[in-house]
Amino acid sequence: MCFLRSEGRGEEAAEVEDRELAEAVAEARRSSESDAEANALLSALCAEGEQRVADAIAFAEILLPMLAQVMRPPLTAAARAAESPRQRKPSAEKSGEAREIADFIDEMLAQDRTGNR
Amino acid sequence: MPTATVEKQPALLDSPLAAPPASSRPAAPKGAVLLIGLDLGTNKSCVLAGAQGSTDIVVSKVVPSVVGYVKDGIVDGIITGNARILYGEEALRQMLHADLAAPLAEGVIARPEAARDFLLHIRTLADPTGRADIRAVVGVPANAGEPAREQIRRSAQGIFSRILLIPEPFLAALGFRDDSRVKQPGYVDPVVNSLFIDIGGGTSDLCLVQGYFPTHDDQVSIPFAGDAIDEIIYNELGRTYPNNGLSRITVREIKEAHAYVGPSRKPLEVKVVIGGKSRTLELGDAIGNACNTLIDRIYPALTSLIEAASSDSVVTLLQNIIITGGGSQIRGIDTVLQKRLTDDGYESPKVRLAGQDFRRYVAIGALKAARAARENQWQVLLS
Repeated sequence: MCFLRSEGRGEEAAEVEDRELAEAVAEARRSSESDAEANALLSALCAEGEQRVADAIAFAEILLPMLAQVMRPPLTAAARAAESPRQRKPSAEKSGEAREIADFIDEMLAQDRTGNR
Repeated sequence: MPTATVEKQPALLDSPLAAPPASSRPAAPKGAVLLIGLDLGTNKSCVLAGAQGSTDIVVSKVVPSVVGYVKDGIVDGIITGNARILYGEEALRQMLHADLAAPLAEGVIARPEAARDFLLHIRTLADPTGRADIRAVVGVPANAGEPAREQIRRSAQGIFSRILLIPEPFLAALGFRDDSRVKQPGYVDPVVNSLFIDIGGGTSDLCLVQGYFPTHDDQVSIPFAGDAIDEIIYNELGRTYPNNGLSRITVREIKEAHAYVGPSRKPLEVKVVIGGKSRTLELGDAIGNACNTLIDRIYPALTSLIEAASSDSVVTLLQNIIITGGGSQIRGIDTVLQKRLTDDGYESPKVRLAGQDFRRYVAIGALKAARAARENQWQVLLS
């Protein structure tokens, strides 16, 4: 559920919350001696779930650029030159025409990942 | 909770950006996504808000970036609603009864607790019901480092559900772009080829915007802007008119009314009240020298960015140098920069001011970005 929310899949998260979580909550309440004990158990489970998702996202953000670097085939000198920031830029007059704002955001996020900002 | 005074510019009220009064706004349904474009400024912040999937803007406000913590022992009824925390204009009005805290310095969060309170206030302005799921695009200074970005994310946790941090000059270009004219022949799209100079309170940010997302090399952030000018004027006044008793807020008001660059403008007489008596001060040199320092600081960055542009784009770029932010209100700043470029041999440079919405362009661009962002581009703030 936490993962679905982090992915923006709110409807699916709500579905899980309404069905599977509701069943799990009911089961926890049945098997606990008191409401307080059940609430504490559920809070701990939720906190653990959120922490795991946060850790996984942070781990993926660190790991992805490293993997990309490791798996990239060796570049020729010419290709390396083409990869340099100045060369990689699209021609100013042509590039803006069909570009969406979301494409710019993608570029920004890519720069974030590679530390080029 | 008192609301901050809203600075409404008459022209804006007639524009599509004008927001309807809060009373006429439908309450956001629980869980409905509300998008916010936020220019979190050192001195003033601007917030625009609108529903997802709509082009309407339901909130458009400029708020002084200040939080006032009401002092202990204030008699009941002095502060409206006996509030303990005040924001924006209300905090400034009650400065005798409150400890003022500026959440930001030099464009980044300096007082995390005040920043969090201020963001809570921004949220309340955008969604008085407190029911909406808020996603915010927040402008950050060009080249803001990861610690500064992380501080914003931390302050926004539990207030916004998702966030995107985007450099302010790029947002200014997006905001300045007239989307209805982008495909018209002859319209020069600022996102395709321009150089933005965004002069705020804490930083002056310069940015090459050339049809791709600006890289580190395309942006310069200088920690010299409105506040630094205030400081120079304040110190000069203290030297020329000892014990004048003028506060920094008064000095800022004087600057905002009389700032200029270029040759000395004298006489520039300003009436102030000192010790209860009216006095006229000659401030031509104090204001001129302070503001000209700004030119000296930003000009080298401007020329270094121009020289970094590719040779096939630089001629058009020189026609599209745009100044925005509070510093764009300094008289003569466009002509002085243009003349200096011309004198230095640059090809027909044209420097212009962004115009009357100078306080809003970053927030306008931020809201456009919020509306365009794909679902997987948002950063989730786990509360």
